[in-house]
Amino acid sequence: MAASRPVNIFETYERSLKGPKVVEKDFDYNILPTNLMKIKQKYNIKFGKEIIPEDKELMNNLFLAGMEMLVTTGMYNADTQKIIRLTEEEVMEGIKKTPKNLVLGEGRDAARFDPRHGNEARKPIIQGGPTGAPVSEDIFIQVMQSYAQEAVVDTLVNGVMNTIEGHPAKTNTPWEIRATMAELRAVREARIRAGRPFMGI
Amino acid sequence: MIAGWTANGDTIMVEQMPIFGGYTGGVEETAICDVATTLASFSLLSGNFHLDGPIHIRWGITTARETLKIAGHVAAAIDANTDLLIANQYYPVAGPCTEMCLLETAAQAITDTASGRELLSGSAAAKGVAQDYTTGMEARIMGEAAIATAGMKVSKVNDILEALISSYEKDYAKAPKGKNFRECYDVQKVTPTQEYLEVYDRAVKRLEDFGLPM
Repeated sequence: MAASRPVNIFETYERSLKGPKVVEKDFDYNILPTNLMKIKQKYNIKFGKEIIPEDKELMNNLFLAGMEMLVTTGMYNADTQKIIRLTEEEVMEGIKKTPKNLVLGEGRDAARFDPRHGNEARKPIIQGGPTGAPVSEDIFIQVMQSYAQEAVVDTLVNGVMNTIEGHPAKTNTPWEIRATMAELRAVREARIRAGRPFMGI
Repeated sequence: MIAGWTANGDTIMVEQMPIFGGYTGGVEETAICDVATTLASFSLLSGNFHLDGPIHIRWGITTARETLKIAGHVAAAIDANTDLLIANQYYPVAGPCTEMCLLETAAQAITDTASGRELLSGSAAAKGVAQDYTTGMEARIMGEAAIATAGMKVSKVNDILEALISSYEKDYAKAPKGKNFRECYDVQKVTPTQEYLEVYDRAVKRLEDFGLPM
């Protein structure tokens, strides 16, 4: 049946309240591995020694297997202990609705985020940064600048400022907010020092 | 959070790191789950692009043979069937200022580029858990390896990856932690040390010997 409309975050939330109730252990130890095994067999998913597949049929079957896994198993919300269900038509509507081109950053520092297909000659976007690794607050700007100044880097990804004014940036404390704000200021300063003030962050 | 970002018109990245060897089991099962959750990030969570990161349950890294195989297959499957924008993140086992760290990072950059990903995000050297063990030099090798790979025939890429991964995968248990940022860079000038530049050059030479035209 055709989807009534793409699923938005409010609909996802409602489904995570009203979906079938399942105990987390049952989902993790039973439903998930059992369904994966069945679908793997159905689509005959077997990888060879290649890191990147060269067999088009394997790529397509893996896509179909993933789609079937999503629509038959759903996504588990551990907070509500409910399964969020959606149909294949709703997955396809979500794919159609997703922008196919994005711009990260602004002006001369902008990076165009366009689809690549196969190993085409156009390089991917290089997003440089510690990717969530912990960084000391006294060298945070310099660490981020070391990425921003690299010629091959197009956009930045933060590290995590480990302390703020010497206090641990602990979750659910005011220091967490102060550290986050300081982190944002430091990343902006790093890209300015690197001469790329409008680089995507 | 997503409700606010959507209303604000922000670009939304949804991140998810499937664990190889966890509840999902082996490489094929983890890859199926990875495709499913990638699709869910767009259709349920309003993502504009997806950040993957298949990770090895024993080593806590994304650069292992198994996790690269998952990432390579999932990206190729999504790429062959959609125009979705997909990315991957980097967690090598070795730390900065070591050849092993640079070779691991290059192996993933080669995999991600040749399997059709649009964005490479990294790198969290030394598994991303040691404080100040990340520097811009690791992003340099990630970018330069991606540029060298883009446009190459996939069968040739697979041959390079086989030789490259084989060169480091026996060393996870004794992987070097490397040096921290203060030891790798002049902090005031923000320039890498001579030592790190020499390590970098040696890693580039190794990659060229494996067949990657750096």
